[in-house]
Amino acid sequence: MPASAGIGLRAQHHAQVLLSSPRVAWFEAHSENYFADGGAHVQALERIRARYPLSLHGVGLSLGSTDPWNRAHLENLKRTVDRFEPALVSEHLSWSSVGGRYANDLLPLPYTPEALRHAAARIAEVQDYLGRQILIENVSSYVRLGASPLTEWQFVAGVAAESGCGILLDINNIYVAAHNFRFDCLEYLAGIPRGAVQEMHLAGHSRIELHGEPVLVDTHGAPVCEAVWALYGAALERFGPVPTLIEWDTDIPALAVLQAEADKADALRERHHAVAA
Amino acid sequence: MPSLRSLQRDFLDALLGAGQIEGRLGLYQSNVRANFSDSLRSTYPAVRRLVGEDYFRQTALMFQRSHPSRSGDLAHAGRGFPEYLAALHGEDQYRYLGDIARLEWLCQEALLAAEHAPLDLERLRAVAPSDYDALRFELHPTLRLYQSAYPALLIWEANAANDSEPQLIDLRTGGDRLALMRRAGRLTFLSLRCGEFAFLEALQRGAPFGEAIAGAGACERQFDAGAALRRFIGAEAIVDF
Repeated sequence: MPASAGIGLRAQHHAQVLLSSPRVAWFEAHSENYFADGGAHVQALERIRARYPLSLHGVGLSLGSTDPWNRAHLENLKRTVDRFEPALVSEHLSWSSVGGRYANDLLPLPYTPEALRHAAARIAEVQDYLGRQILIENVSSYVRLGASPLTEWQFVAGVAAESGCGILLDINNIYVAAHNFRFDCLEYLAGIPRGAVQEMHLAGHSRIELHGEPVLVDTHGAPVCEAVWALYGAALERFGPVPTLIEWDTDIPALAVLQAEADKADALRERHHAVAA
Repeated sequence: MPSLRSLQRDFLDALLGAGQIEGRLGLYQSNVRANFSDSLRSTYPAVRRLVGEDYFRQTALMFQRSHPSRSGDLAHAGRGFPEYLAALHGEDQYRYLGDIARLEWLCQEALLAAEHAPLDLERLRAVAPSDYDALRFELHPTLRLYQSAYPALLIWEANAANDSEPQLIDLRTGGDRLALMRRAGRLTFLSLRCGEFAFLEALQRGAPFGEAIAGAGACERQFDAGAALRRFIGAEAIVDF
């Protein structure tokens, strides 16, 4: 996977990507959107995969759930990975189901030693099953689930160390969580080991008022804000040049808007890389 | 300290419950509800247009409470919605809604099922006529059979696109008996006579050709097995044996 900026692939852009082969370094697709046996989306991704490096990013595995594995989901994931041979496979450090019922949302884990051991064991099982390393992404959050004696960065770093997975560091999610839980983003970055980060995500968020209190919401529906660009600069300095994704999932704009965001990330990376070199 | 499992149970119970949650936890609840109803909106565009956006969302949320998603793939969230609508509306003015939903669910299945090459006619010509009755034909993986007492396809076609002109459709204009499938990426519909329907239904459950013909003949005396075979091979409805 090139250490440049890629774009989140959404079905609205399939036709344009296939017709005009736009200048994009790589694409990241949501794994579940291509679980089908056949059909237009699967066919489009097969053709896009033939031209571009690909990352598969899961949103529904429910990695942190205390349920037994959803075997059908795991089998589908493996089949999808085998079919598209992505350079990177990632999942979220969260859960979305319990008792067989799904929220289909990325729900937070408590940052406890128990949850850490549980998540790490589950990730190790996924890696064994897929026969490859996966990356796990830090999620944005609005509430803490129970008491959390560990910090979020201790939890993320601990899970990676114990399971042997890589980290997909979502810079926007750090920014959102830091605002919502009043911690220091730079302390977070310093708590993540240098070698573990293999991909970064950049996205937009929105700010709302809840009972007179400003809360940041991870909408993936806006340009990356200046503060997140600045934090990305700090992350580049610490983690070096790694593949970075522009994510935009709601109110999806023209591909050209996403390309401009990717160009901005590339320019920032080149500047930091040049300074570091 | 409560176990991880009990924390997860309590959290999910709150999110999937009927009550409206305020504050930060409410952000999760809105996501959980919106993700579910958005999935149903994309699976059931004609039902949505028939009942209107607000009513559709309310019904989707009621359905979510009694039938929460059982999969990490949201494309499955709408499973069971046709039966739910049918039971909800019974014999009222929306009594046909469950049938429209069932058609839309089958359309989604057809759009997501595997590809298959057309039947190799040379292979079929090499079969001795005396062996025909024992052949087990395979239908295209995208093919779905559909029956309704209402003019469901007409209703669906008039409502699946959001910008189509409103039309008056008389529910008594007669029912539908269809095979629907994906061909070259698009949905196609074959209107079936009673014998053809029984014939394909028998093939779909794996019955040999001879048995399928007998079943078709029982419901349609004029059933012509040769013509049916030609029609369905030509339409790529029968793809293998």
